[in-house]
Amino acid sequence: MVRVSATGSNPEYVNSRVRARRAKLFDDEDYRKLVRMGPSEIARFMEETEYESEVNALGSRHSGVDLIEYALTRNMAKHFDDLLRWSGGEMYDRIASYLRKFDAWNAKTTFRGLYSGASAEEIETDYIRAGEFDDRFLERLANAGTIEDAVELLDGTLFGESLPAAFEEYEETGVLVPLENAVDRAFYENLLGGVSGSDEPTKLYVEFLQAEIDFRNARNALRLARSGADMDPSEYYIEGGELFTPNELVRLVGNRDQLVTHIRDSKYGDELSNALDELETADSLIGFEHALDRALLEYSRGLSSRFPISICPVLGYVLAKEREVENIRAVARGKEAGLSEEEINEELVIV
Amino acid sequence: MAKDVKPTRKELMQIEDRIELSERGHDTLEQKRDGLIMEFMDILDQAQDVRENVEGNYETAQKKIDMARAMEGDVSVRGAAAALKEHPEITTESHNIMGVVVPQIESSKVQKSLDERGYGVVGTSARIDEAAEAYEELLDSIILAAEVETAMKKMLDEIEKTKRRVNALEFKLLPELYTNQEYIEQKLEEQEREEIFRMKKIKAKKEEEEAEDRATEEAEAEQDRLTADD
Repeated sequence: MVRVSATGSNPEYVNSRVRARRAKLFDDEDYRKLVRMGPSEIARFMEETEYESEVNALGSRHSGVDLIEYALTRNMAKHFDDLLRWSGGEMYDRIASYLRKFDAWNAKTTFRGLYSGASAEEIETDYIRAGEFDDRFLERLANAGTIEDAVELLDGTLFGESLPAAFEEYEETGVLVPLENAVDRAFYENLLGGVSGSDEPTKLYVEFLQAEIDFRNARNALRLARSGADMDPSEYYIEGGELFTPNELVRLVGNRDQLVTHIRDSKYGDELSNALDELETADSLIGFEHALDRALLEYSRGLSSRFPISICPVLGYVLAKEREVENIRAVARGKEAGLSEEEINEELVIV
Repeated sequence: MAKDVKPTRKELMQIEDRIELSERGHDTLEQKRDGLIMEFMDILDQAQDVRENVEGNYETAQKKIDMARAMEGDVSVRGAAAALKEHPEITTESHNIMGVVVPQIESSKVQKSLDERGYGVVGTSARIDEAAEAYEELLDSIILAAEVETAMKKMLDEIEKTKRRVNALEFKLLPELYTNQEYIEQKLEEQEREEIFRMKKIKAKKEEEEAEDRATEEAEAEQDRLTADD
């Protein structure tokens, strides 16, 4: 189930392969072309790119924008699986630790599928096979039958520790919130747990992961402040960041203005200044979330250039690939929904 | 005029009673119809606002879900939607507007806070929140529209029914009753006139017979007197 690295760390090899992959990512010109196309043209365009094999393989099962979406996620999974295949030692551990976000996704997909009574086949279709869970384990998860069995199966993974308590809460409340939060928190808290070393790339890597946790905490705090939900911060607060302490979060969630001021006064204030200005005037958080994504992407890109032989370029590639998938999907779905080119361009995050 | 109308006083009295009742009913129904129309106009204004709201909310919700599907992916949105089995509770009661029973739909647990929507907070985004929120608002406005539009339909049916009744009374029943009343009155008058005429005839005949009897008696008396004189 969980692959253990057998060789030593090999950042040089992985990074040279990653550079080649990175060069294949869509650039501004490709996006400009895509935005002018309809959904079927996008699918055709993808057939002429590296997504060809996925589009062809899935063409008989899906059509239209669904085909594009499934092809994108399958291609992304293939690329991330390659990263794990190439890497060894500490490099593997760090990449795997980051890619476990897809294990978290698959665990949540299992819970949601079992909860809503979806078939094992439907659950398996929605998996993104980019994490550490192998096909056999995912098949067992999809066929678990009950949420309790799925929780038992996940025992021994990084989610195993937090799930039993969350399952008890789930049984009391009847909603998946505790299980989903437990899975996501386990992922984020594990990100920093396994990082050791005092060299400069490791320090910056830790800084990057902290930024990601801080951004996640900030967006969740703002969402809760907007919703007015009375939630115990321990349920959604992710430890490891520097922006909030749990007590600060409890205090700030009740007052959105203070929350915005707190973020503005933090070390992220300058980067997020425009988004925070927008947030003060608009009710929607979407612009702010875009700004967070963009900031994270820029941050990872900066790290990649500063330390070319470290985990940083790989991390930068993972984020860039994820963003490419999200951008292409946004264009295709946006076109399907009849959004204008301007509206779609606003939704794209291109760095 | 009804064919089976008997031109009798009893029938006339019955018809007069029916006319009185029908006129009273007609006035009451007319008042009811006017009242219903006024109530209907109020509900119509409300229904127009509610309908506009539903249309606006539907457009917003559709846009938000399109955006959420575009940015988060269809699988993600479907997954978030699957994380909640609980349905909003809808209870219906009824209340009375001028005799029309209209539904009053009460809904609970439609608008939810972030912790009640089923999906986890940590791994989802504001796009999904906003789409869920927009659909909650849409559902609320649909429930209100269902209440108002059902009330409007029922009021409209009742107005139609009342109008038909008023018209039936005004243009069918009452004119028929008036015609029957007139017919019976004319018949009775005619019978009365015939009776008077008959009585007069009898009286004249009686007087004639009496005069004849008297003349016969007088002739006989004269005869007797002449016989006695002889």
